[in-house]
Amino acid sequence: MSSRGRLALFLLGAAGVAVLFATAFLGMPAFGSEDHPYRDLAVPAAVRHATANVVSSVNFDQRGIDTFGEETIVLGSVIGVAALLRPAQRESEQRPPPDRHRLESTTLLGYVLLPVTLVVGLDVVAHGHVSPGGGFQGGVILATGFHLLYLAGSYQALARLRPVEIFDRGEALGAGLFGVLGAAGLAATGAFLANVIPTGSFGQLFSGGTVPVLNVLVGLEVSCGAVVLLTHFFTEAITLSVGGRRERGGGT
Amino acid sequence: MTSGTAAHLMPLAIAVPVLVACLMVAAGSRLPHHVLDLLGVATSLTVCALAAVVLTRSADGRVVTWNGDWRPKRGVSVGIPLVADSLSAGTALLIAGLMSCALLYSWRYYSPVRGYYHALMLLFLAGMEGFVLSGDLFDMFVFFELMGIAAYALTGLKIEDPTAVQGGLNFGIVNSLGAYFSLAGIGVLYARHGQLGLAPLGQRLTEHRADALTVVALVVIVTCFLVKAAVVPFHFWLPDAHAVAPAPVCVLFSGVMVELGLYGAFRVFWTVFGSAVPHDDIRGAFLPAGVLTAVVGALMCFAQSHLKRMLAYSTIAHVGLFTTGLATLTPEGTAGVALYAAAHAGVKSALFLLVGVILARHGHVDELKLHGCGRDARFVSWLYFAAGAALAGLPPFGTALGKSVTEEALTRAGHPWGPAVFVAVSALTGGAVLRAGFRIYLGAGPAPDAGGPVAIAAQTTGIEEHRETEQLSRTPRTMYAAVLLLLAGGLAVGVLPGAGRAFDHAAEGFTDPRGYAAAVLFGTAPAVGSPHHESTWTAQGVVLGCVSTAAAVLLAAAAVRAPRAPDARRARLRPFLRSLAAVRALHSGHVGDYAAWLLFGMTALAALVGVLPVDG
Repeated sequence: MSSRGRLALFLLGAAGVAVLFATAFLGMPAFGSEDHPYRDLAVPAAVRHATANVVSSVNFDQRGIDTFGEETIVLGSVIGVAALLRPAQRESEQRPPPDRHRLESTTLLGYVLLPVTLVVGLDVVAHGHVSPGGGFQGGVILATGFHLLYLAGSYQALARLRPVEIFDRGEALGAGLFGVLGAAGLAATGAFLANVIPTGSFGQLFSGGTVPVLNVLVGLEVSCGAVVLLTHFFTEAITLSVGGRRERGGGT
Repeated sequence: MTSGTAAHLMPLAIAVPVLVACLMVAAGSRLPHHVLDLLGVATSLTVCALAAVVLTRSADGRVVTWNGDWRPKRGVSVGIPLVADSLSAGTALLIAGLMSCALLYSWRYYSPVRGYYHALMLLFLAGMEGFVLSGDLFDMFVFFELMGIAAYALTGLKIEDPTAVQGGLNFGIVNSLGAYFSLAGIGVLYARHGQLGLAPLGQRLTEHRADALTVVALVVIVTCFLVKAAVVPFHFWLPDAHAVAPAPVCVLFSGVMVELGLYGAFRVFWTVFGSAVPHDDIRGAFLPAGVLTAVVGALMCFAQSHLKRMLAYSTIAHVGLFTTGLATLTPEGTAGVALYAAAHAGVKSALFLLVGVILARHGHVDELKLHGCGRDARFVSWLYFAAGAALAGLPPFGTALGKSVTEEALTRAGHPWGPAVFVAVSALTGGAVLRAGFRIYLGAGPAPDAGGPVAIAAQTTGIEEHRETEQLSRTPRTMYAAVLLLLAGGLAVGVLPGAGRAFDHAAEGFTDPRGYAAAVLFGTAPAVGSPHHESTWTAQGVVLGCVSTAAAVLLAAAAVRAPRAPDARRARLRPFLRSLAAVRALHSGHVGDYAAWLLFGMTALAALVGVLPVDG
């Protein structure tokens, strides 16, 4: 199709879709209106299981299988990227190029922020059932923390801190144990992902039953998965070369 | 075994493949190739067994389990149910069966690359099982994404080949675009009704008059399913992806993933929108969409010389027929399509694997260049011709039974043109496959270097296709076994006594939203009503099946001889050829075109559902 034809077709379709969504949005209840059947069910259910963060209760307890599917999507994406970015036959691994000079302030800030970020990440994972946050959010913060080492130090420093095999295993462990905990619920009560751990008292660190445990598993999976994912992109951009020549400038 | 136990098995059909995939990732490169193969096949067979138990129990009523033990009180729940009626349990069995055959076929000959291939296949399996068993709109979407992610990566697995990466990208972009729209549609529906379960949403919609929001939500939500189902004009990604994906992956794509798109669209229609949106509006949209898809797919199929693209377009053509049958919105139409799709899965998968054998032996899949290459392959050629004839609708294959039941359902629903479309499309797709068989296995027609047909310059040939295995001098037994099992499955659907009745029962349950809601929300298990109609062989069906097969053979023979046709006859064909070339030019491989068509398709679908008055 010519680019003009494509544009015409797109504009026609986009106009139609815009009308569709405008019609739908006009029919939606106003923001913040009283009538909300799911809220009326979900909040008491969260309280019954002593989970102060209702969103976490919905994600990890009431609709836990959704989250099982979602963290499996993360696992699948990481495996998919690993499979697609694996060294091709004509590519060979090379020593990464020497690092460029960095501003001392960048280095300082990086090294100061590295431990802080890791602690914040762990905190967000650990308290996902009582305050905003959880495994997905905390996992991403943890993975970001590791990569401060790359910004502050060098690619070699990052590479030393990040033995990919271990992170691969951490990711698989997090995803797998989620399923195992689900199966434990199945064995104990006859329902997959049933909340079989004592729920404790509302608002405490030990409350919510399986919710904090699942948060920790997802935190493990997401942080390791993100590190592995970025490793593959780094490898592709920095250390892989085609026929002895580096294909892209990439990296440092 | 009680139905309670069977209910417990459903989540395992999703969790077990995920756990084994995790094990493969954790083991990294340490698992030897044969252990990966063994784990993969054993896991798929385990899921087969689980699905078979659930299917047996579902004959007495729907099998329901609430994850997290959030069982509904007074008909409402915050949780997510898994629900198996005969159709979803049967589909779950089909998915696991095809996966077993695909992994058996790739036994030892597909480079495991650290277990990535096997792990992705198992995640693909988990995603499809979750999708088909879920009774919740958003949860269906989650598993839909899971199967998408695995499928995109599997499509691009041959990274040495730039077209594989492009095929995977096109697939990923078009499907994701559809998915985002659908997610917005789910959000719109949730904002209004505060529910995500199929059954509770259905109940809420019964109480509300269908308005513009409802119709828009329907159109937008089914868009992602129709993209997956490759209904025209959402179909462009499919041939690009099928052409480059490894043959065992194509088995799952064409055999069941594409059909799952239709399953999703009609499952959501029946359980959620069935009572709110007038059925005639749906017929008015999906009957033309189905016929258009069937015709475009069949013509494009006949015009290919790249064998995998040919089979891919044939899948589009058949999806069009399935859409037409389901769009009757009758139990008999649904039963016919379920029969047809189950048998088609066996036959089409066998064909993809046979093309995989050709690729492994000769290093390319171009029909013209392969002229005479298969003369020594006696046994394989018989399998190929049997599968080709089955695709064209030769009795007693299940494809012929499904085709016949669907044709009669269409006629009875007041669409006497139905059988003509089915016969023509079967003849064209079967004819294309047989034509390639005549050239490759019999060496019929002129050889390409002796002034025979030459591929048009702009056309995609199969010469560039990359090998996916080491070069094979002899076809391994595991490959034959997989092909034979699949063909036998396609035959069994047609000849097993009681198969028709089982599919009638499944269709009756699928088209009964009230029974679905009662079973899911109130735990009452009303027995599925006994079908009013019995799907079985009829004289008319057998005759039409033979007619379409004969037409396919004639078309194939004519096409092989075509270059010698007199000029006068060619001139008469010229307008037809020119319009075919125009349709062909639309399949540009440009992902921007595909995205534009997607938006246009949504608008057109909304116009057909919402605007055009249709009298029943």
